[in-house]
Formats: sequence, structure tokens, C-alpha cells
Amino acid sequence: MHAPETEGRRPLAFSLNGHPVEVWASPHETLLAVLRDTLGATEVKYGCGEGVCGTCTILLDDAPVNACLLLALQAHGRSVTTVRGLRSAEGLHPLQRAFLEREAAQCGFCTPGMLLVAYAFLREHPAPTRAQIRTALAGNLCRCTGYTRIVDAVESCAAVPARSERDDP
Amino acid sequence: MRIVGKALPRFDVADKVEGATLYAADWSLPGMLAGRILRSIYPVARIRRIDATRARGLPGVAAVLTAEDVPCNATHEDATGTNRAPFATPVLAADRVCYQGQPLALVAAASDVQARAAVEAIDVDYEPLPGVFDIEAALAPDALRVHPDRDNVLIHWRLRQGDLDEGFRRADAVVERTYRTQRVDHAYLEPEAGVAWVDDNGIVTVRAATQVIEHFREIAEILGLPHNRVRVIAPFLGGGFGGKEDMTVEPYVALLAWKTRQPVRMVWSRQESLLARPKRHPLLMRCRTGATRNGELVAQEMTLLGDAGPFPLLSPRVLFAALVVGVGPYRVPHVSIDAKAVFTNNVPTSAMRGFGAMQVTFAYESQMDLLAERLGIPPLEFRARNFLRKGDRLPTGEALETHVALPEVCRAAVEALGERSRPSRTSARVGRGFACNIQPYGRTVWFRDQAGAWIGFEADGSLVIRAGVTDLGGGQAAVLAQIASEELGVSLDRVAVHIGDSARTPLTGGTFATRQLYMSGNAVWQAARELRAAVAPVAAGLLEAAETDLQFADDQVRVAGSPDRRIALARVIAECGRRGVSTAQLSVFRGEQAPPVDLETGQGKTFPDYTFGCHAVEVEVDTETGTVTLLKHAACHDVGRAINPQSVAGQIQGGAVMGIGQALLEEITLEEGNNLTTLFANYLIPTALDVPDVQPIAVESGEGKGPFHARGIGEPPTGPPPPAIASAVYDAVGVRPLDLPIAPEGVFTALEARGRGAGGTTPEVT
Amino acid sequence: MYLYPFTYCTPTTVEEALALLQVHPDGKVLAGGQSLIPMMGLGLARPDALIDINGVPGLARVADDGDGLRIGALTRHRTLETDPIIRRRCPILAEAAAVIGNIRVRHRGTLGGSLAHADPAAELPLVMTALGATLEVRAPEASREVAAEKFFLGYLQTDLAPTELLTGVRIPAAEAGTGYGLAELVRRAGDFAIVAACAVVSLDGARRCTRASLALGGVGPNPVRFPSAESQLVGRTLTDQRIEAAAEAVATEVHPESDMHASAAYRRAMARVMARRAMATAAARAATHLTGGG
Repeated sequence: MHAPETEGRRPLAFSLNGHPVEVWASPHETLLAVLRDTLGATEVKYGCGEGVCGTCTILLDDAPVNACLLLALQAHGRSVTTVRGLRSAEGLHPLQRAFLEREAAQCGFCTPGMLLVAYAFLREHPAPTRAQIRTALAGNLCRCTGYTRIVDAVESCAAVPARSERDDP
Repeated sequence: MRIVGKALPRFDVADKVEGATLYAADWSLPGMLAGRILRSIYPVARIRRIDATRARGLPGVAAVLTAEDVPCNATHEDATGTNRAPFATPVLAADRVCYQGQPLALVAAASDVQARAAVEAIDVDYEPLPGVFDIEAALAPDALRVHPDRDNVLIHWRLRQGDLDEGFRRADAVVERTYRTQRVDHAYLEPEAGVAWVDDNGIVTVRAATQVIEHFREIAEILGLPHNRVRVIAPFLGGGFGGKEDMTVEPYVALLAWKTRQPVRMVWSRQESLLARPKRHPLLMRCRTGATRNGELVAQEMTLLGDAGPFPLLSPRVLFAALVVGVGPYRVPHVSIDAKAVFTNNVPTSAMRGFGAMQVTFAYESQMDLLAERLGIPPLEFRARNFLRKGDRLPTGEALETHVALPEVCRAAVEALGERSRPSRTSARVGRGFACNIQPYGRTVWFRDQAGAWIGFEADGSLVIRAGVTDLGGGQAAVLAQIASEELGVSLDRVAVHIGDSARTPLTGGTFATRQLYMSGNAVWQAARELRAAVAPVAAGLLEAAETDLQFADDQVRVAGSPDRRIALARVIAECGRRGVSTAQLSVFRGEQAPPVDLETGQGKTFPDYTFGCHAVEVEVDTETGTVTLLKHAACHDVGRAINPQSVAGQIQGGAVMGIGQALLEEITLEEGNNLTTLFANYLIPTALDVPDVQPIAVESGEGKGPFHARGIGEPPTGPPPPAIASAVYDAVGVRPLDLPIAPEGVFTALEARGRGAGGTTPEVT
Repeated sequence: MYLYPFTYCTPTTVEEALALLQVHPDGKVLAGGQSLIPMMGLGLARPDALIDINGVPGLARVADDGDGLRIGALTRHRTLETDPIIRRRCPILAEAAAVIGNIRVRHRGTLGGSLAHADPAAELPLVMTALGATLEVRAPEASREVAAEKFFLGYLQTDLAPTELLTGVRIPAAEAGTGYGLAELVRRAGDFAIVAACAVVSLDGARRCTRASLALGGVGPNPVRFPSAESQLVGRTLTDQRIEAAAEAVATEVHPESDMHASAAYRRAMARVMARRAMATAAARAATHLTGGG
């Protein structure tokens, strides 16, 4: 999709869902654009470009951040996790299974970001109250569900141990 | 039943939790270009000149198109279906623009950065002109005309029943108020997007986030092609809510692909969407309502004025829906309603979940509360004395054909609130309110609505459904699988559903008007029953049983009462093949049909049926700041039958929260046609901290016109929250909001006015 | 999600960053990017160079040097929210940081970035003004310190020259009986405030106020201190009436403008309410510290 703009392109190497990737990126390309257009990681969405909606959420070294507001080159040498990184060899992450069983996703557009923020939150707060869950998710917008089912799904996963170290390299 | 009525996980949700779903913007083709629109910066202007020379010369630019490059630069609209208000809307503006953000030119370039540079390099010579930005100004006798060839009334619907003067003569109490609802945006999380390409057979193909694949016809007309040379594919949408019901990117991306012969992707920025995407109609509603002292409604007079922007889109139908249910779910013998859609130079308005019937709920329920108070009758009792019942006639003269569960849904909603909460600070007051509503489901009956579905068995007994439904996130696809699975006994994970392809799936009509379950659900149910009837004799023969004793379940056909006598569906299908019995069925379900209503009186059959509901809420009002916090919310609707109870509850919760957003937070602010709310940071939709757990209560009356007697539930939950919250605010602090949103400043100002002893009447929040 | 091309620099020392700012006078410092990148994406800012200082070590330290707190400019909001030193020594900073934007913004947004951006309704400029903080500024040839109160000069304008870099903040140590209060009027949690007030109150053993600091945001282009209100409190015990009177003084002094979010009259009324709430909270907390509780 990009015209070959060879000037300014630099090598960019980072870990994507546990796998090393190497691409070329221009400084003005956001991480969101490189993930989607260069690496085909379309599970990371564009929703607003302002950092407000949460559909572009990724984990940068375990911290949830806005991919639309990071320059791709800023991810160099870091680890990036998208929703596809939640699954393990055993199957869906418990959070994903809970979202599925409780229909905590309708249109699903907010779901990848919501899952990642919930995942990061439960790692730090394994046994939260519903109010704390709502506070943690307040920065991820949903227009379909009204949030209750999402809170239910996260609550049902509370006190589940944090995902263990990956079994891939 | 084994499948219908169960909260089974949806197949599309399984993909969504893995991020595997390919939405419109996730689609990529080799050599794909980026498309972008040049939009007008002025609300009203003459276009003296558009010069694309510089833009065309920029690197990577494959095409720059203006109005003269569009083969047929008009979409012909006849939204009413009665040819009352035909209009030709330009695809690209030629010599004038009528709203800020109106498309002027299109660019396709090798990258989005290059497309953006090219758009900025197009020179437009504007001559800004005065415009009309207020409905009442637009209706003034000497008003500036939005369109030179017609006045500013796009359409004027009338509903007349009985004798209004007689009604008001009989009234012992009359309440008169003016209500205003605001301009609101759909704010789906997925911005408008699509990819178009010309396939190897020369078919212009558009894969776009759309609620209506039938727009292939309009695209073909615009391109000057026969209808069968255009194909529209709808992937799963990241929300629609009516905002993707009219065409969004489709005509533009199709034009660019057709001209360049390369694939073109267009994704609107959120800010572009907030700027120019058609909004929900702000309605100005003047109401005069009369009742007798023993609580009988006798007269309802209303004027409903909707700001239609400069182009009709679906405005005529939105105002029509508001007209039909304007008096609410009540018996009123004397009714006069005038509903007008008025042209202005504000951002266009069109469909949004609730579609006119949503906004009037605020008016009629507020009137009911005011009258109840005036008469000294408790609000629930006052309503109960007037609730419609099955067999009663609406003011349009048509009789209600299904059960009206209002007393029951009201009781359920109000009781669900439980114990009253305590205020969280000394300056706060807690209050409660409730509101009922009536929302049509299904399209107006003179549109001859129909939906087709194809179901076929594979040789191994697995099932394929092909239906042109579009799935907005409400489970429109998954529910079809549930219905077919129930009827034909194929286990749910062996049902594959292909949706949303105008060339490959039978057309079902778009997903709007809360019609999809009613139409495509019935089509699938019908096709499944017909297929079962075709296959049953073969199974009966193999099992040596009577057809009436057969049970289709768990991928088998069994004989009732004899667990040993059963056969795999695959074997039945194989036998059908040997005998030449078809194992596929195409079926068309036709909705109710009737001639259009009488244009002077509004009398006639309008919608197939209605969904009734009631929401009860508890709020806390901080008297020092005017802030309203929603503490509890119970939402009850009669859904006829819940095919998937979890999906039904999800629609109720999501719809209620959308209504809450309109009640308390959301507003698109325009100033002289300039849109001030173009940042998502400034368009306030509810977050997880702004709403409590909405308690969804689905009552199943067993009566409804959808499959298995279901009723539509997509739109109904949006209406009750604003009046319920207004009522609760009044209960808490004695001021009654008449305008939406109920923002802190308005409540605070009304409280101050009352504190200063302004007059003897209840101060109203405007 | 697409930005225009720019020259991208990744200095590894403050000196290098400063030298680059001289070479690129139309360039901008990139720290958290949570305000800058959206502006670039929307076409509201078009710097021809970005000097990304995220790779400069030593700019994100949090230290209590006995004399007060020193916080590096690159400290993320999330760190302000969670760091144990800050939570113990200057809890109002943690409280304010916790309501900035959303969790994703807080993981990247920085103290220095927020102060240099100077949004009129932002929490950190307000809190720094109330705390009497000092901002540390580095220029190629010199360093200087600016009082927070003198740093914010207009709508999105600060005392920072284009060739200067904000490197840290110094917050003076507080006395034993000090309490803080932050009161915000927001439409939704995490939004920019319509009006916000931050108060710092210190009480002596006799519960007399020895120090009062009150700043408001959202009532003008910059956060404003209210010495007139503060002087009504210092040297006296803080009764509800005195606090209310001080809040009234604030209301008479502010001259907010009307905009799409709120009218001038409402902002003025809310200035009084938020000022009172912030002062009352600060006074209550100060009293708790005196008795050794909380």
C-alpha cells in the first residue's frame, strides 16, 4: 500500500507476540500503521487517532498504550503484544473464553483492546472489585454492550493466575 | 426447543475475541491505492472553480475526480416510497455546497500520505454565502431557501383522528410544553471504511462497512452501469446503528476503483466522520395534551419539527415514524400531529437507532408525568388507565394485532430497582423515574418488504445458509444459524452462514428498522420448514415411520418415543440424492403489505408491529454542580420470544446505554453551520464509569411477528432512558429538563432560578 | 493514523537534544506524544523535526532529597500515580495523575510533556502551581529555574523557549500538618476538567493555618493562584464559614470565558464550589495528619 519512500526508512526490529520481526519503517509511520499495513496485524484497529477510544491498544513491554500515538521506530528493541498474543498453546486465554461465553462482544471492534487492558489490569490486580474493574476499563470505549457483560467477564477471571511464561521462543 | 431460546455462544464472537474478524478496513489487495475526499470547509458557498492541476501532478497520485468525472452525479431519492418528495442529491458537489464537509473531489494515490497531500493541493475558489441554520428561521415566511427550486419544508406529514377541539373541551387538565432533543452521532467504534476493485470479470466490487448491500443499485446508476455489474459485500461491521444505512464510502471508492482500474481503500478519519456523517435528527416538539380528572387521555396535539440538513436521505421516514407513535403507547381519541422535516444548511441527518420514535418518547412520557402530577394521580396508575391493549387502534386507525405487555413490563422495571439508595454527599439528592415506549419493528408496509434465504445440506449432513443480511454486531448472522439448527436438527457447529454479498447471497434487505429478525429470520425459518418438509418423506421412508412422528435433532432424524429408531442426517441426504429429492431450498418471506397511508389524515396501516417496554432509573443529583449520576437502571421489554436470550439482553443493555448517552452526555454542536464537535475527545459517549449495570429484563409474551413469535429489540431500548432520567431528576430536585442532553449546567441554572424563587411554576431546565 | 514526514532525531544526552533544538528551530520535542501526535495527525501541528528524548537517560528519576521532591520531566503519569515516594511525600500528585486521560495515555504521557503543553484544564499544571513547584529548564549555555506560577503564559503557551528543554520539577518539602485537596468538575472521568481546584493547607498544633495555597484551572488560559483567598485563611482556624468566604472571594475574582463546554457564569459558580471542596478536603486531611491519623 505504501509508495516506496526509501529515504528516511530505517530498520525496525521488535518482538511481536513473542516472535521477532524485522521491517523497514519511516519515522513518520505510527506503530499502528506498521502493525496493520506492513505486518498484517489487523487485529489492532484504527478508531480515532486521538488516543481516546482504545481500539488500537497494544502492550508495549506489558504496559497498555495507544499504538496510534507511538512512532513505529519507538518500538525498536521492545516487545509488542496484540490480542493474538493472549492465546497460548492450550487455547484461548481465560479472558477470551469468558468474553465468548458471556457475549461480552457484540460488534467486536473494541474487543481486542478491551481484552489487552483487562489482561494487563488483572496481572496487577488479581482480585478486583467490580468498581475497580470499571475504573480500569474506563479508557476503552464500547458502543454496543453497555459494559456490564465485559465487567462480568473480567470479574469471572479474577484470581486466575497471570498467564504463565510463553512456551514459544 | 433445544437451540432456540438458549444463550449459545455466537460463531462470530469466537472470531472477535481472537481478533480474527476482517472488518472493512482490514482488507488488502495487491496494488491497492488510498482514497480520500476533499470536503467543503464552508457550510454554504458557491464553487467558482476547482483546480486539480497541482494535485494531479503530485507523486503517487493516480486520480483526482470532480463532479464532471461522475457519469451520473446524482442519487435519486424517494424516501417515502410514495414519490412525495423526490430529490436528486449530488455525489460530488458541482457549483455549490450546502453543508460543511460536503464532498467536492476524490483522490486516489499510492499511499495515504500522498493522498492527503493531493487533497490539500486541490485549489478551490469558494464564495461563501449566507445559509439557514435554525429550523424556526427556515420555516419563517421570508426564509432564505436552502434549495433554489423549492421551499424549506422537505415533507409535511399529518395525522388526524377525532375532533381535537372536542377533546380539549372534555379535558379537565391541559399541559403544554416544548421539548428539544439534540443532534447526536452514532459514534460506532469502527469508522466508515471500504475497499473497491474491479474483479476479473469486470464487476465493480465494493467490500464496505454497510448495513445495506442493496446499494449496489445506486452505485451502478452513479457509474452508469447495469445493476448486475456491481457487487457489494458487507463484512461484519464494527457497529452501525443506522449510520451505515445510507451509503458512506461506497460511491466514492467505487468511482475511484472504476476510474483507476486499481483496488482503492478509503477509511474515514474519526474527525471526518464526526464532521460530515449524517446525524440523528434534532427534534423540536411542541405538545399540548389533555386528560379528564379521572385520568383519561382525551386530546393530544403535537408539532414535530426535524432538522433535515440540506439533503433528504431518510428524513421523511424518520419524521413519519415519529408521527405514527407520537402519542405514545396510549389510547387517545382525539389526535392531531404535524410532523415536518425541514431543510437547513446544518450537517445532514438521517437514520439512527430509534429513528424518530426514539426522540418523541421524551416528549410523550414527559407530558404523561406532568399530567399525572397536575391531576394528582400516581404516574404509573395514570399510564395504566390509558395503556393500549391488543385490538385497540392507534391514531392511524390500525388495530394492534399482538399482545401489549405494558402493565407487566412496567411493574417488572420499577420493582427491579429495589431499595432506594442513599445520597453520597450532603449536597446530593436521590430520585427515581420511569418511562414507557412503543417502537415499531419492520419496515412501513407499503414498501413491499421481502427477504430471501437459501438453505442447503451438504452431503455429510452439514448445513449452509446463504442470506444477504448484514451483521452489525447484534448477532444477525448467528441467529439465523440458531433458527435453522432448531428446525433441521443440524448441530450449531455444523451450520455455516454466508452473509452480505449482493452477488452470492439472496437479498434480505438491509439491517435497519429493527426488521432483520422479522424478515430474514422468518425467511430462514420458512426455508428451513420447507426443506424439512421436502426431506421428511425420505426420512420417514427409511425409518418406516409416519412423518408426524419424526424428530430432527443432533444431526439425526429420530422417531419420537423409539430411541433406537434413528438415522444420521447424512444418510437421509444421500438417499435424497438417489431419489432426486432436492436438499436445498430458496425461500422468500414477504412482509405485510398495504397501500400507503392517506396523506392528509395519516390513516392506514403503517408498521407491521411494535415492541413495548419500560425503563426505571434511579439518579443522584448534586445540587451544587447540577451533575446527574445514574445509580440504577432496569430495562424491560416484551420481546415475544428470545431466540438467543443472551443476545437479547445484550441489545437491551447496549441500547439503554446509547439512550443514556443521549440523555446525559452527547451533543454535536453547530454554530452557523460550523461543526464544533469534531474531536472524539469532545463527543462524550458513556464509558464504563458513566453507567451502572443496566438490568435487562426480557418478557416473553409469545406474541410477535418474527420467527417463533419474536419481536424486534434492536431499537426499542434507546427511547425510554431520556424521559426516565428526566423524571428521576424531577423527583430528586424538583426541576424538569425539557431539553436534551440533561447537562449539569442546565440543571444547576434551573436550581438557581428556583432558589431565587422564580415564579410559582416548576422551573424547567432548558 | 498517518503523519507527514519529518526529520527524526534520537539524542542520547540532554546536550545532544539541546543542540538538535538549535539546528531545528521548527522542531518539537517528542516525549510521551499523547498530545503532540494527535495534533500532528489532525494537521494542527506540522513540525519539520521531532527530537525524541525517550532515549535520554536520567530524566525520569523520582527522588526525595530531604529538601523536597525532585521529579524528572520524562517521568510517566503512571509512575506519578504509583510511585511509593510520591504517594507518601506528595499524594496530591498521585491523585491528580490518576485522573489524567486513560491508562494508555498515562503509560506514555510525561510530567514534562504535560507542563510544556500547558492545556488550561490539565491537572499537572494546576497541581504544580498550587504546590509552588519550581521547573528546571536547560538551555544550551545555561540552566534556569522558573516558578510554576510564572511558567504558564497563555493558552498553550509557556515560558519555555524553542531551544530549551524542561528537565525536571522540584516540589518543596511540606510541613508535618499538611493536607491536599483536588476538586474537579468533569463530564466523564478522565476528561479535561471544566473547572478544577487544588488546595494545599498546613496547620500548626493549635490547628491554625500556617500555609494556604489555592490554584484553579479552567477559569482562564492558565492555572491561577488566589492570594486573596489564601490570605483569608492564613493565621486562622479553618471553619466552614471561613472556607466558604474564601471560596466566594475566588468567585468574584475569576473572569472565565464562555465556550462550547460551559458558560462564563457556570464556570464562575463552579470555581466557588470546587475551591471550597478542595480547601475543605485539604483542611480535613491536614487535621488528620496532626492527630497522627490517615
